[in-house]
Amino acid sequence: MKIRILRQTEPDGDAYWESFDYDGTREISVAALLDHLNYNDDIINDDGVKTTRIGWDRSCMQGMCGACAMVINEVPSLACDTFLNKLKGNTLTIRPLRKFPVIHDLIVDRSVIQENLKSTDVYIGEYNPKENEDHRHQYEVAKCLKCGLCMEVCPNYRGGESFYGAMFANDCYLVYARNRKKSADMKSTYADHFGRTCSKSLSCMDVCPMNIPMIASMAKLNR
Amino acid sequence: MKNVLIIGSGISGLACAVKCAGLGLYATLISPVSSERSQSVMAAGGINAVTEECEEGDSVSCHIEDTLRGGARIGGKNAVTGLCEHAGDIIRYLEGIGTVFSVDSNGRPMIRAFGGQSFKRTHYCGSSTGKQIVSALIMEARRYEADGLIERKLRLDFHSALIKDWECFGALLYDEKKRLLVPFYADALVMATGGQNALFGKTTGTCLCDGYAAGKLFMQGADLKNLEFIQFHPTTLETAQKKMLISEAVRGEGGRLFYEDGGKRIYFMEDKYGPKGNLQTRDLVSREINNIGRDVYLDISFLDKKQIDVKLPEVRDLCRKYGGIDISQTPIPVAPAVHFFMGGIAVHLNHETNIKDLYAVGECASMYHGANRLGGNSLLAAIYSGWVAADDIFGRTENKTHPDFDRAIRNEEDKLTGLMSSKSSFSVIHIRDMLSDTMRKDMNMIRTESTLKEGIDDVDYLLSVAGQIWYDSSESTYTNYSLTGLLTLARAALTSALSRTESRGAHFRNDHPDMDDDYAFSTLISYDDGAYNTCLDKERVYEN
Repeated sequence: MKIRILRQTEPDGDAYWESFDYDGTREISVAALLDHLNYNDDIINDDGVKTTRIGWDRSCMQGMCGACAMVINEVPSLACDTFLNKLKGNTLTIRPLRKFPVIHDLIVDRSVIQENLKSTDVYIGEYNPKENEDHRHQYEVAKCLKCGLCMEVCPNYRGGESFYGAMFANDCYLVYARNRKKSADMKSTYADHFGRTCSKSLSCMDVCPMNIPMIASMAKLNR
Repeated sequence: MKNVLIIGSGISGLACAVKCAGLGLYATLISPVSSERSQSVMAAGGINAVTEECEEGDSVSCHIEDTLRGGARIGGKNAVTGLCEHAGDIIRYLEGIGTVFSVDSNGRPMIRAFGGQSFKRTHYCGSSTGKQIVSALIMEARRYEADGLIERKLRLDFHSALIKDWECFGALLYDEKKRLLVPFYADALVMATGGQNALFGKTTGTCLCDGYAAGKLFMQGADLKNLEFIQFHPTTLETAQKKMLISEAVRGEGGRLFYEDGGKRIYFMEDKYGPKGNLQTRDLVSREINNIGRDVYLDISFLDKKQIDVKLPEVRDLCRKYGGIDISQTPIPVAPAVHFFMGGIAVHLNHETNIKDLYAVGECASMYHGANRLGGNSLLAAIYSGWVAADDIFGRTENKTHPDFDRAIRNEEDKLTGLMSSKSSFSVIHIRDMLSDTMRKDMNMIRTESTLKEGIDDVDYLLSVAGQIWYDSSESTYTNYSLTGLLTLARAALTSALSRTESRGAHFRNDHPDMDDDYAFSTLISYDDGAYNTCLDKERVYEN
């Protein structure tokens, strides 16, 4: 199997493709594959040349933290829960998320996620629920990993300057539902930074690793 | 206004920062990555508290007694009393900031049974309790960020504390963006860096919690405590990439452990300990599974599928995704694995170390859990300890001026420069791998004097070459400079385990299988220029 990885040494450096050969089991995740390439022995590319270890973010390694978000065979995915035996073909292509600045190889700077939530005061403050709250949906929404996959896939998301992406809509909904005093403000914030621009491709729902039904958040806030 | 520097942004760090901000202190929260990546999000099962939702007959004193008994009587009664007495307040606080608890038809938080407890008192959010609490605390921290009372900084790594004459004035941090050491002065430094996972390689937790901070502070004079008590969680699922935790919530919801003998299921825990056998404390269940010596399974398939979907959706998804198992149909193969560290940085009841203005909270501190932690008490202790430290810092009046650390900082910069230009046949990852091999072999669930001594010899060798590593520039600078701290911590843990010639809680010595009343105290260990000195805390200086 050929593994093609888009690499970049430094934030200001040029991106370049490097390929590796892999002939082990396909019963492993892309995260386990990256571990194997990095640490099985010296890391050798498909030209037989020793190279530097591949940089990538990881933490929980079981789909609970969102660290290892990247683009795998052109699909925004978590490396730790994408398995080789579910992928087609004999070539695996891995690149960093494109909508965020690259720090090193597959590691990107996702601080814009927190900055946008902070600048728009998306916090509950005090639990004061609306009467007809949808508890089940709030539970799902609060599981958002802030991994950035929904932003990567979104045709409307550029770099977070005015449109903040589906994760933003979800957090707005959580605040809207859990503190009625902020409901009106959150609807307005949601409209300014999501609702008025979203073209409803709903591609965000296809890639969300938590399977959060974003459309439910949108429906409630568009009402 | 007092400045508080907090290292680590999981639940204990967040709780401390939010509490500080609520008291009007200025908190800076430092971590290499955002809170969503912290190990706290992996805490699944729940948080213990006696509230009005609990069963008749339960009481705070019962919670205290269960915690002390589960910890094999070396936890401090005053410390545990404080923890349990505030547990109800903590649940109400978490509700008040909007945590999405699992609730009944009246909107009240639901409870489930957990191991080692006389009554059901574990409040929960499905099987993602830690994640739900993190989400709520992040929002609360954001509120104070807007007020300018909390500042969050990412891509910064802890290097060392700035200490002079047994007083702490802040920390030296490694800035990953600028690629240099930067001092950060503060009136108090709070460590919230989690457990010591890296000593064992792959555990149930995150690879980002490594124990370096505890090892480095130990080398700088901080006492460590109870390092021999390492919790092996009885139910983990072996996968290609790690050992994955199967939450105690499964047994809390009625899950049964068994092995097969001639086609017949033997429910060994129930046979030996009665109807509540599956919910014995984790140390006991792990040892029983180890003693069985054959494949053990956890069965929840008898539970109604809808109940599994509502109460254990994350466990259902994890088993399906990583093990190909439908838990509504098939039992889960399970085995014990390293999960939690009861030991860590020694702290007094106010969570201050033996170094003035240096605090430790959450799993990196050793407090409350004694020789074995009860499930559901770690989330509780993470929040409570953060609060206690914040309150104590608030109660101090002085605004500090720091002494001149310029020479000491230049010295550290020179050492780092020297490390970055070093060349040898020993790469840092190679040594880390050898360390985890040693610890898994010699500091396992069952220990003897000879295995522990072998471990010490191995780690001493690794320490002797750690100063001559090949600097690996394709690893992070932190990974390179943290090696000596990790090895020193491992050496301290092995030494502590060797010194306890009895079996208690999670520490089992095959050559000393019985509990000995003479050892009913915490183990303290201190470092003096390469010497590791242990003693029992018979005066209960730290935890009483």
